[in-house]
Amino acid sequence: MGRSSSSPSSSIDSTSNLTPLSPSSPNSSSSSSSICLSSNFTSRTTRRSIRRDLSTDLRLGLSISSSPKHVLPNNNVVSIQRVDNQQRPDWPPIKPLLRSALSGRSAEERHGAASSLFVKVYMEGVPIGRKLDLLNHDGYANLAETLAHMFKAPILCPNGSRAHSDKHYVLTYEDREGDWMMVGDVPWEIFMSTVKRLKITRADRC
Amino acid sequence: MDPKRARESPESAVLSRPSAFPDEVLERILSLLDTHKDRSSASLVSKAWYHAERWSRARVFIGNCYSVSAEILVRRFPNIRSVTLKGKPRFSDFNLVPQNWGADIHSWLLVFAEHYPSLEELRLKRMTVTDQSLEFLALKFPNFKSLSLLSCDGFSTDGLSAIATHCRNLTELDIQENGIDDISGNWLNCFPDNFTSLEVLNFASLNSEVNFDSLERLVTRCNLLRILKVNKTITLDQLQRLLVRAPWLTELGTGSFIQELTPRQYADLETSFKGCRNLQTLSGLSEATALYLPALYPACANLTFLNLSYAALQSEELARLLAYCAHLRRLWVLDTVEDKGLEAVGQNCPLLEELRVFPSDPFDEEIVHGVTELGFLAVSYGCRKLRYVLYFCRQMTNAAVATIVRNCPDFTHFRLCIMNPGQPDYLTREPMDEAFGAVVKNCPKLQRLAVSGLLTDLTFEYIGTFAKNLETLSVAFAGSSDLGMQCVLEGCPKLRKLEIRDCPFGNKALLSGLEKYESMRSLWMSACKITMNGCRLLARKMPRLNVEVMKDEESNDGQSYKVYVYRSVAGPRRDAPPFVLTL
Repeated sequence: MGRSSSSPSSSIDSTSNLTPLSPSSPNSSSSSSSICLSSNFTSRTTRRSIRRDLSTDLRLGLSISSSPKHVLPNNNVVSIQRVDNQQRPDWPPIKPLLRSALSGRSAEERHGAASSLFVKVYMEGVPIGRKLDLLNHDGYANLAETLAHMFKAPILCPNGSRAHSDKHYVLTYEDREGDWMMVGDVPWEIFMSTVKRLKITRADRC
Repeated sequence: MDPKRARESPESAVLSRPSAFPDEVLERILSLLDTHKDRSSASLVSKAWYHAERWSRARVFIGNCYSVSAEILVRRFPNIRSVTLKGKPRFSDFNLVPQNWGADIHSWLLVFAEHYPSLEELRLKRMTVTDQSLEFLALKFPNFKSLSLLSCDGFSTDGLSAIATHCRNLTELDIQENGIDDISGNWLNCFPDNFTSLEVLNFASLNSEVNFDSLERLVTRCNLLRILKVNKTITLDQLQRLLVRAPWLTELGTGSFIQELTPRQYADLETSFKGCRNLQTLSGLSEATALYLPALYPACANLTFLNLSYAALQSEELARLLAYCAHLRRLWVLDTVEDKGLEAVGQNCPLLEELRVFPSDPFDEEIVHGVTELGFLAVSYGCRKLRYVLYFCRQMTNAAVATIVRNCPDFTHFRLCIMNPGQPDYLTREPMDEAFGAVVKNCPKLQRLAVSGLLTDLTFEYIGTFAKNLETLSVAFAGSSDLGMQCVLEGCPKLRKLEIRDCPFGNKALLSGLEKYESMRSLWMSACKITMNGCRLLARKMPRLNVEVMKDEESNDGQSYKVYVYRSVAGPRRDAPPFVLTL
């Protein structure tokens, strides 16, 4: 399986004229800040199937905090909300419980994970599972298609007829309460909010 | 009567008359006095009144636990049944006070065990409470009824087990927003089977799952239960079963509001909400979506307080919900509702007195969402009775604030947090001085103010000149010079609490308030321009103040200090940790 590998930076080429600070310097990737231009972006994207338009995600690769700076009357320059891209624990002034409830969500988003909801997928009989990003799909049909591709097996689209027999597989999921359910009975949004993992089981077992 | 005698001083005339009021009658009358202020005033009238008041006082409120000692307390008030104590400075909520700072309840409990064995109620805020203390409380006070812990730390759910096990007469268990060790939900199982006195149960901020059967049985047998706030692990169908058992609740905090419900389950939920006719307060609703919110509508008719600060609602969802909440007086929301949602507030809630808008994405300033000055304006046009606001936003204008306070002159609490420090009026690029000037000029009843944005000394000149009823002031990243702080100290006669961080106020400002601090509860200053010498001078000149200094770990030059100054009749505290220097 191909893994994405970082291509060698052109500045490593010893014959080129090196400048000390090139935009592709290694430091930049760890402190990239992204500007999300999607106007519907909310902190609940993990619960909704809003897809991030990745082409408008600009990763600036700057190693400085990009928070707006203001000069206070006493000439102190203040850049507050991030210190080295970490949250400040003391600003803004919200109480610890709310802070942890919100930063839990925001942290996911900052790692780009609000644009992804990865769940484990196992196929019956196969010990090694896969991982799949549910937020990259907009519905059950799309999901079934991806899975069929991933596992090279015909997955029954939940809306399809059940006439097919043992050559097909059906998709089941484990919900928050620990119960295994057939995929497709509830609206996609509800499914997204309760699914913990997926399992592809043989059709004749259901 | 001898005319000469008639011209004697009134006091001696009174003293020489035999008392018309036996002490018992005086005590009985004074015992009807409710508020602490009234009781304080009464105790100052005369010696007789002082003693009558102190014998009849049953409830005591101590705003700073270090301002008085337990020994002094029990000496003055022998018959206390209810104690309310506040500990750490408020900025400890924002991680500005290190761990193990103090405010431990245990030494108080030891004294109470000896002098107040009939203690019934303990309400603590920002205190350190250990499991050992909770067990001690549960075992030593057989009449104990009511425990409220808000923003406390140091205990675990094991401590709650002790309370549940041993407090036979418990009526209230209110655990809110504490930094606790949440080991398990087993504490709920510790209430004995014959225990039926519970009236208030709030465990909304605990994370561990509780045994639902235990909870259901508890709710069933406690038929005086009127306030129930469960945590997120309680599902919707479980909530439905609880509501069926306790439809007479006046305050409800739901668990998680998202679940796959069958149509039948949804109908049942709706029916049980319909049965809750007495609901005045509703909270929880975590992860509530448009799908299930309508189940709530029938329960909202009498709602006066709606707390949506854990439910990230969108503007339409809020608007539809508010259509059913015409009697709302208090509303807390996340800024996911945006300005459009606040317009709906203005349109639907004419009786609104309190609005709090919390930031849903406080740590990422690149995402421009949330609420702006427009939302606040919309509320002010529709809700003229507004008197308490806490508003987190990313942009504001002087003009908007001026209009808002013209619409709503009754503000008593105005807390505006423009989240980017030092941010000017985004339209005119001017400082926000005129905004807060307008607030203090237009709102004569203002008691509490929190300022933000780009502010010069002018803001503080306005405050000192106009805010004559101001009791609490919070300042961060503001001011130009010592003059700012001086104006406030000189101009605000009723000032009790002043908390300042990251401002250019130095020793001159600190020392300008020497006499003032004795009439205040406390002063907090951190990341300002105070030096150790300034603090020492203050401590030397005002021996009855406690001046506590902590080194500011985060400061770059090692010169920055956190100073906490407060008046006390108990002298310097004996439990100060090594990092707190008492001067």
